Amino acid sequence: MIFGLEFPPIENLVEWPNWFGPKDSFYGFNKIAFISLVAIVATSVLFILGNRKRSMVPKGAQNLVESSVAFIRDGIVLETMGPDGMRYLPYLVSLFFFILIGNIFEVIPFFHMPANARMAGPAVLALITWAYYIAVGLKHQGPKYFINAIAPPGVPKALYILVVPIEFLSTFIVRPFSLAVRLFANMLAGHILLVTFSVLCITLFTASLLALVLPLSFFMLVALTGFEVMVAFLQAYIFTILAAVYIGSSMHAEH
Amino acid sequence: MLALVNVFAEAAATDVNQAVAEATAKNPILPVMNEMFWTLVFFAILWALMKFVLLPPVMRTFKERADKVRDDQLAAEAADTARVDRLEQYEAGLAGARSEAVKLIEQARAEGDAERRVQVGAAEADVASLRTEAAAEIAGAKERARGELTSSITDIAVGAAEAVVQKSIDRSAQVRVVEDHVAQAGKN
Repeated sequence: MIFGLEFPPIENLVEWPNWFGPKDSFYGFNKIAFISLVAIVATSVLFILGNRKRSMVPKGAQNLVESSVAFIRDGIVLETMGPDGMRYLPYLVSLFFFILIGNIFEVIPFFHMPANARMAGPAVLALITWAYYIAVGLKHQGPKYFINAIAPPGVPKALYILVVPIEFLSTFIVRPFSLAVRLFANMLAGHILLVTFSVLCITLFTASLLALVLPLSFFMLVALTGFEVMVAFLQAYIFTILAAVYIGSSMHAEH
Repeated sequence: MLALVNVFAEAAATDVNQAVAEATAKNPILPVMNEMFWTLVFFAILWALMKFVLLPPVMRTFKERADKVRDDQLAAEAADTARVDRLEQYEAGLAGARSEAVKLIEQARAEGDAERRVQVGAAEADVASLRTEAAAEIAGAKERARGELTSSITDIAVGAAEAVVQKSIDRSAQVRVVEDHVAQAGKN
C-alpha cells in the first residue's frame, strides 16, 4: 500500500516465470522471450506481405515496409555514414524493428509489458552493437583503430593526457552502457507510469467522492498511452541512429 | 558461556541468511540470463532473415524504381530533344515554304504585271483603233449631214428668195453661196 493505493508487488515486474524450461536455466522461455519472438515474427510477416506483390507504385504493406526502410536508409544510414554505410542497413533495420515491436507491446492489451523494460534485451543489443562497431573499426582501419579511437589524430599532443582516458571510457565503456540504460530506463519508466495511472483508475473506481477524480486519472492514462507509443518509436530511432553513428565513426579515423 | 556463543552464532547465521537472501533476490536492473539468451537468438535470426531474405526484395524494388525513373527521365529527355529537333525542322521547313511562297507571289505579281501591261497595251490599241474608226465615221456623217444641210438650206434659201423677189433666181449661183457659207460655218 502506497498512499492508500494497492500497487502490484515489485515481483510482478522483476520475476517472469518460465513458460517452459527449468527455473533459472539459461534457456527458460518466458513472456519477455515470447515478445522477442513476436518481434521477429511480426517483422517477418510485415516484410513478406510487403514483398508479396511488388509494384512500382507501393500501397498497403509494401508502402509501410518501403517507407520504414527508406526512413532508416535516408534518415539514418545516409545521414550518419553516407553511401558507404549501406552495407550496414540490414543490421540497422533489424535493430529498429526489433526494438520498436518490443517496445510497442507496452500498450498492446493482454501484454502491457515492453520487452525492453527488462535490462536483458537492451544489454544484449548494446553489446552486439558494441562488438559490431569494434569489428567494423578493425575491418576498416586494422589494429590502428584502437589507437585512432582513443587518441584521435590532429589533437595537440599535450591534450592526449586528457583525451586518451576520456575517449577510452567514452568509446569502449560508456557507449554500450548508455545505449542499454537509456532504452531500458525509458521503457521501464513509461511502464511504471502507465501502471501507476491504471492502479489509480482502478482505486478511484469506487462509490465514493473519489470517483470525481477518476476522469482526470483516466484521461492521463489515455494520454500517457499515446505518449508511450511515441516514446516506443523514439527510443527505437535513438538506439538505431546512435548505433549508426558509432559504426560510422569506426569506419574512418576521427579528425 | 556456551549459551552466549550459541546466541551469537544464531544471530550471525540469521545475518548471513538474510544477506544471502538479499543477494539472491531479483535485482530489477540486472539482466537475467535466459532473457539475454533468447534476445540474442531471436535478434540473430531476425538479422540473418533481414540480410538474406526480407530486405533484398525491398532493395531490388528500390533499384528497379530508381532505374525506371532514370530510364523514363532519359526517355523523356530524348523525346524532348526529338521534339525540339522536329520543331526546328518544322520551323526551318516553314521558313523555306514561306520564302518559296513569297518568291511565287513575287513571280506571279511580276507575271501579272507583265500580262496586265500587255492587256492594257492591246486594249489601248483597240481603243485607238475604235476611236479612229469612230472619228472617220463621225467625219463621214458630218460630211453627209453638211451635204444634206447644204441642199436643204439652198432649197429653203432659194425658195425664200424667189418668194421675196417674185421671180426665178440662179439656183446654181445660190447653191455656191450657200455652200461657201456652210463651209465657212463648219470651220467656225
